[in-house]
Amino acid sequence: MLPFLGAALAPLAYRVLGEQTAYFAALVAAACLALVASLFGTHGTVVVPWIPSYGVSLAFYVDGLALLIGTLASGVGVLVFTYSGGYMHGEPGQAKYYATLLAFMGSMLGVAFAADLIALFVFWELTSVSSFLLIGHYQDADASQYAARKSMLITVAGGLFMLVGFLLLHVVATSVPGVESAFRLAGEGSIIANAEPMVNALRAQGLFVPVLLLVGIGAATKSAQVPFHIWLPNAMEAPTPVSAFLHSATMVKAGVYLVGRFRPLLLTDEWTLVFGVLGLATMTVTAILAVAASDIKELLAYSTASHLGLIVAGYGMGKYLGAETGAFHILNHALFKAALFLVAGIVAHEAGTRAIDELGGLAEDLPITAGITVVAALGMAGLPPFNGFYSKEFLFHAVYETAAYAVAHGGSPLWWLLPAVAVFGSVFTFLYSIRFLMLFFGEKPDALGEVHAPPLAMTIPAAVLGVLALVVGLGGVTATFGVHLEPLEQFVGSVMESSLAHGGEGEHHAFEYYLPTKVTPWLIMSAVTIGVGAVAYPFYDRIRDAIRAVRGVDPLRPNWYYDGVTEGLDRSSAIDVIQTGNLRTYATALSLALAGLALGAYAAAGVTIPAITYAGLEPALVVVLFVAVVGAVAVAAAPSHISGVLTLSILGFMVAIFYILGSAPDLALTQLVIETLVLVIFLLVLDKLPAFYGTPDRLRAARDALVAGAVGLTVAVTVLLSTAQTPDDVIAQYFVANGGVPAEHGPIFYDAGGGGNIVNVILVDFRAFDTLGEISVVAMAALSVITLIAMRERGEIQ
Amino acid sequence: MTLDREPTVIARTVVRLVVPLILVTAIALLFQGHNLPGGGFIAGVLTVTAFALIYIIFGLDYLETELLDRNPGVRYETESGIVREYGLVFALGLAVAAGSGIAAMALGFPFLTQGVVFLKGLPIYHELEVASALAFDLGVYAVVVGALLTILAEVGAE
Repeated sequence: MLPFLGAALAPLAYRVLGEQTAYFAALVAAACLALVASLFGTHGTVVVPWIPSYGVSLAFYVDGLALLIGTLASGVGVLVFTYSGGYMHGEPGQAKYYATLLAFMGSMLGVAFAADLIALFVFWELTSVSSFLLIGHYQDADASQYAARKSMLITVAGGLFMLVGFLLLHVVATSVPGVESAFRLAGEGSIIANAEPMVNALRAQGLFVPVLLLVGIGAATKSAQVPFHIWLPNAMEAPTPVSAFLHSATMVKAGVYLVGRFRPLLLTDEWTLVFGVLGLATMTVTAILAVAASDIKELLAYSTASHLGLIVAGYGMGKYLGAETGAFHILNHALFKAALFLVAGIVAHEAGTRAIDELGGLAEDLPITAGITVVAALGMAGLPPFNGFYSKEFLFHAVYETAAYAVAHGGSPLWWLLPAVAVFGSVFTFLYSIRFLMLFFGEKPDALGEVHAPPLAMTIPAAVLGVLALVVGLGGVTATFGVHLEPLEQFVGSVMESSLAHGGEGEHHAFEYYLPTKVTPWLIMSAVTIGVGAVAYPFYDRIRDAIRAVRGVDPLRPNWYYDGVTEGLDRSSAIDVIQTGNLRTYATALSLALAGLALGAYAAAGVTIPAITYAGLEPALVVVLFVAVVGAVAVAAAPSHISGVLTLSILGFMVAIFYILGSAPDLALTQLVIETLVLVIFLLVLDKLPAFYGTPDRLRAARDALVAGAVGLTVAVTVLLSTAQTPDDVIAQYFVANGGVPAEHGPIFYDAGGGGNIVNVILVDFRAFDTLGEISVVAMAALSVITLIAMRERGEIQ
Repeated sequence: MTLDREPTVIARTVVRLVVPLILVTAIALLFQGHNLPGGGFIAGVLTVTAFALIYIIFGLDYLETELLDRNPGVRYETESGIVREYGLVFALGLAVAAGSGIAAMALGFPFLTQGVVFLKGLPIYHELEVASALAFDLGVYAVVVGALLTILAEVGAE
């Protein structure tokens, strides 16, 4: 994948290009966009085997929905990288910033196109991790750290729920005849292609609702649905381009994407209930919170959660227009919200503040930005003829029809709450959208200093998004007069098809949108929204204060629970007992656990200790072992550290001689050198320690003796057991047969080791992968030493 | 980690003589590892032993002042100074080891497949066996040397 390569090259590029790295990254993103664009109109699956033994593959599937998310990720990516070139001017850590942002874009493309459950999960978590790094970009700020940790905890935990759901799906899928590959999500022979038998099998095993809820939790945490919305406002600590990219156009869309992707599989009445309620609740609650916001980015964050709620609610509606709502609003929301975030970045950058109360009358100084804001904010408000109007109209239509249908079929009148809540939530959406817009009009507060014009690199991306939003909106106007925006309608239509349940739902027709030409219940709903909103706007301040008062009540705030739990864990006394900071405690716990587990396993397996035979015990061996034992006793009795270490090395050297006698020269050589080095290091460290600590008290001595005895017993039993069992030595014979130079060989061969030293051949050839792991560990140890010592010197350990 | 008192002339002279010997032995062990006792790991540890001797007898800064001919950097500073070079050594080692595996992949074999080439008609040697495993072993050697020296220098600086 191109973006990952780009990410790897970004630090290098930064050295060469400096701040121009932004444009390098934008180029990478543009290349991705071109690649994605070249896939338009195609449809199908590409499979690369990954873990064949488990049937896991790196399968990529292309359809409308995947293309939409892919286009958003790479297209908004291009704009955001360009914008970063202006915004990040003179900021620290740019190489890291661009590398992470590119890696994020790669994972997001992966999420969009992955057709394998495991691959999807991996890319999903990669977006969480890179988002963590980006939110915490300003490493030294407490708020950044808090926000990064919070988003990581919530989204990764949600991802784990999702993984459980995936695995349940996989287990069920293995028993469904039509499913050829039980990890394959979409494409031929996949889970979704066999939706009906899958649902039947899930129901038969009573797993349908658990899977639905688990996948739902994954989507809800990622897309910041109530009550998991709390991470999104904090995530605004990230640099603004990141907020625009991750937290409006892409990462939060991953959850929505998941909902859209699973919709054909899981669409049932339960689905409508879960996602309809979840979406509408989120839409309303977060819209209300957005009104209470005091910071423009906070306002946008809550509004993002609110609009994601709208999309989820749309996908939740089964009978009518559900998929249309979701698909179209994903596009619309990405266009106007990314534009608004970029505008917020411009405002914060040029006016020097993000507080809503301190801003106003910016249109004089930022005329172009004001124009973009008019288009985007009115789209967000759902005012015709701007783009948000159409998708909101779809939602009203969908919830109205769903409710009418449910009630007509004997459902409870409570279903009418759905349209009522939708209107109620939309009123608040209208309110905060207008509030955002009014930053640019009215009186300019005196406290606001001079506002500079933003650099072109910042204006252009925002303008591009604004123009696109405008075009989508005007497309609806022209469509009213019979001129349709064909490519767009076809594209959204294909996106919609990805989420349509098999067997059709309601009336199945091609996607189109236009201004309403006759009065319908849903048009009245829109009118009510706008009317009430306009009437309520003059009382904005009072509404806001009222909401803040309610918000102040602790048990109503999900944040209160989050903080309570994390702080509770942080302070709990368990940590003091377990983490004493005393090396002795850790060593005791580790050794005892090891001994206990090993001995327990032997007991559970019911092994018998074999008789000890003394055959082949040469006199020389006896002498060596005797000296070793003497050394060991001397260590225990040593009066000081120095003599203890010296006698310990007697033991070590005896072991080396033992190896020589056992004809293992390699081992002996290694043992000798290591022994020497360890001795040297020991002596160096001991130089700084007191010569002797004094006599330990009896209790401690007894405890230590117990631990030592347990470990010794475990090792002895293990050695006895493992040497007594002599298997047929298949692998050793293989190594011996293939390790050396074959009798007949050409000048080049690669099926045998070709070495005389079989130990080394095993290390570097047959078992090279293990060795690679080991040297990685060695390198990691060195890195940890550097980090530990460097961190201590910087006084970062608390 | 230098000694409190000046090391004796005997110690200095012996170390001067012994260190090159150890290094040559280490390299011999590295290259003969394929057919005779030896290998990347043991050679790496042996090399570190040689450096440890230098550190103990001549002090921590000797390498930098005498061999690299520059002023030693500020202690505890990991961004510069010799620790950074040690870091480079083990990073390079990892890259070589992993790269030797990827090279096999590029030729169409599974990751880390090793091959052997016999070169004939060379002067002196007549026939020389070159194993691709040697590249991997070099990586192991570099990682061990770099990592252990990093630890030694960091801990020793305490």
